Amino acid sequence: MQRRAFLLSGAVLSGGVAGCAPSDAPPGRVVVPFWFTYGGRNRATLQTLVTRFNQAQREIWVRAVFQGDYFEGLAKLRTALAAGAAPPLSHVVGEVVPYLAEAGVLEPLDDYPGARSLPLHPALGQAGSFRGGAERSLVAVPFNRSTPIAYVNQRLFAEQSATPDTWQTLSEVARALTKPGRFGFGCPIDWWYWAALVGQAGGEVVEPNGRISLGDEAGVRALSLWQSLVAAGVMKQPPGRDYNAWEQLSQDFLAGRVAMIWSSTAFVRYLEETADFPVRALPLPRGVRGAVPTGGTHFVLLKSAPSELKSAAWRFVRFLLEPESAAFWSSETGYLPVTTEAAQLLQSRGFYARHPNYRVALDQLAVAQPWPWSKTLFRIQREVVQPGLEAAVLEKRDPSRAMAEARRLAQESLH
Amino acid sequence: MKPTRPSEPWWLLAPMLGALAVFFVYPLLSALRTSFYEWDLLTAPRFIGLGNYRAIFSSGELFASLGTTLLVSVVVVAGSLVLGLGLALAVNRPGRLAALARSAVFSAYVVSWVSVGLLFLWIFDADAGVVNQLLSAAGIGKVKWLTSTRMAPLTVALIVLWKVTGYAMVVFLSGLSGLPPEMQEAAALDGAGPFARLRHVTLPLLRPTAAFVATTSLIASFQLFDVVRLLTQGGPVRSTTVLVYAIYEQLFRDLRVGRASSLVVVFFLVLSALTWLKLRAFRSQEPV
Repeated sequence: MQRRAFLLSGAVLSGGVAGCAPSDAPPGRVVVPFWFTYGGRNRATLQTLVTRFNQAQREIWVRAVFQGDYFEGLAKLRTALAAGAAPPLSHVVGEVVPYLAEAGVLEPLDDYPGARSLPLHPALGQAGSFRGGAERSLVAVPFNRSTPIAYVNQRLFAEQSATPDTWQTLSEVARALTKPGRFGFGCPIDWWYWAALVGQAGGEVVEPNGRISLGDEAGVRALSLWQSLVAAGVMKQPPGRDYNAWEQLSQDFLAGRVAMIWSSTAFVRYLEETADFPVRALPLPRGVRGAVPTGGTHFVLLKSAPSELKSAAWRFVRFLLEPESAAFWSSETGYLPVTTEAAQLLQSRGFYARHPNYRVALDQLAVAQPWPWSKTLFRIQREVVQPGLEAAVLEKRDPSRAMAEARRLAQESLH
Repeated sequence: MKPTRPSEPWWLLAPMLGALAVFFVYPLLSALRTSFYEWDLLTAPRFIGLGNYRAIFSSGELFASLGTTLLVSVVVVAGSLVLGLGLALAVNRPGRLAALARSAVFSAYVVSWVSVGLLFLWIFDADAGVVNQLLSAAGIGKVKWLTSTRMAPLTVALIVLWKVTGYAMVVFLSGLSGLPPEMQEAAALDGAGPFARLRHVTLPLLRPTAAFVATTSLIASFQLFDVVRLLTQGGPVRSTTVLVYAIYEQLFRDLRVGRASSLVVVFFLVLSALTWLKLRAFRSQEPV
């Protein structure tokens, strides 16, 4: 008797941990497993949306299952695909969409109801996120999308007059804000921010003809900017890699050890709520032009799932893109409103007047650069560029030679 | 006890052999086979012969990660032998203080690796960490514990050492308590001082204990993963990418199953060689 009660309590607990409010779907509903990789506040916000959807209709029950961070989630998804046990619905970072699409595991969405007329922001859908994305069949629908932006500690920033809107003024402001025990500027030595700098220096990571140039001269200039700021002692490069480095930098910013950081717009809400000083968001500076990459994830349906589940999953995706849902998601987290309707809704309700920091990334989309449609891009990112940048900044390597080496390795990694 | 039928021992061994076959032999053989393919789990595997092995040798990845692993092992094995024995000798006495010291040192061994990782992330932070704040207060200046390629592998090794030393101490304590007191007394009567007794009586008798401590420390340092995952993610610039972490990166970050498998095979061979050396060392001690 006791043992049974114990087992039962365990079952209830694990149901709770799996993150689906009541662990059992009401009878007669199509249950859609949905693997997601949002942590913290984003996770709670998503679950609110799932609950709303499950309560709003009687046919479908979305069961959201947390799968760790983006990369852990991707590894699990891939393993599940190999084992023939993939869910019908998940979401993946933009860089791997071409890879998954070319591997033939993503469901083409063109014929799903309304797929051709989703009111997406032009820079955020598949058509605008990838070069040539419009000519391919639709496989990815954006939901949590972002751009890098700058955050400044307004208490410290108020003392000085310049705005970091060019590379030159960025360096000056970083220098002016640096004091003993405090860095003026902080930025993860990370592919995403480097890509932003390459764009600002007028380059492309992959040329329109498919050549992996890593920006050529622009790539070198991007790296040199970091190197000079680090050498001058005005820029902090957080330890750790990937999101560990981003999180470290957030902590340094919140503790007042770094006055200005580059991070994702996804952290607006978190930084505003956690800081004990006013936080101000600014667009990234211009080089020879303004440019930012987009980031975040796209929703995908997995081809291997039964069609009934895929259709049900699609209805949930459309629910998420409804103005109320997309606006709720954006205002709760700081991610961009992915549809024009959601952006208008937030505007008309006066949200941006009250919260101008949320507006920065949205306005910055005017200079958003598309990613190349390349199935090897994520490998080049993780195996070549990321470690190459880290080594060059840390070991003060000659930037031209470091980038030439990275280009050579990138060519090799195509095989 | 003599088996009544020749098949009997096999029946008794069957559950263990079955488990070994399913969870050890089969995965290993499957890794061996996969190591000859290029495979990303999604598209069809492509046979490339020794291509993966060539890649891990020529890219320097194998030697770099093996070198890092061995560096960590040397620090951890040597350190745990010296510190473990020293601490054991220091606290091998009655009294409350010694008991407190024993439990305090051993407690590190009980803490989970994840907690250890988070704890040291805070302790060794370049700017806000306790260690660097103390160092700069003392006028020595800050040390780049986790952010320089030269220091980071040593920092990781020190953390592993900190964790396994408590265990080494307990093993040495039990070794010490097993030593016959007569020999110490006889040596003392013959006029041997404390150091001579330690060098000529205690240490030789503790050799099997030391071999055991060295083996467990070696295994702990070869299995190292959690601390690296939490503290450095293999960086800066791959300086803390130990073998297990390199396998993890190939498989889960770079989606190269074949290359990860070839690392697994090499890792297995290295461990087998070390085990063989250890068995030989033990065997040569037996007649003593």
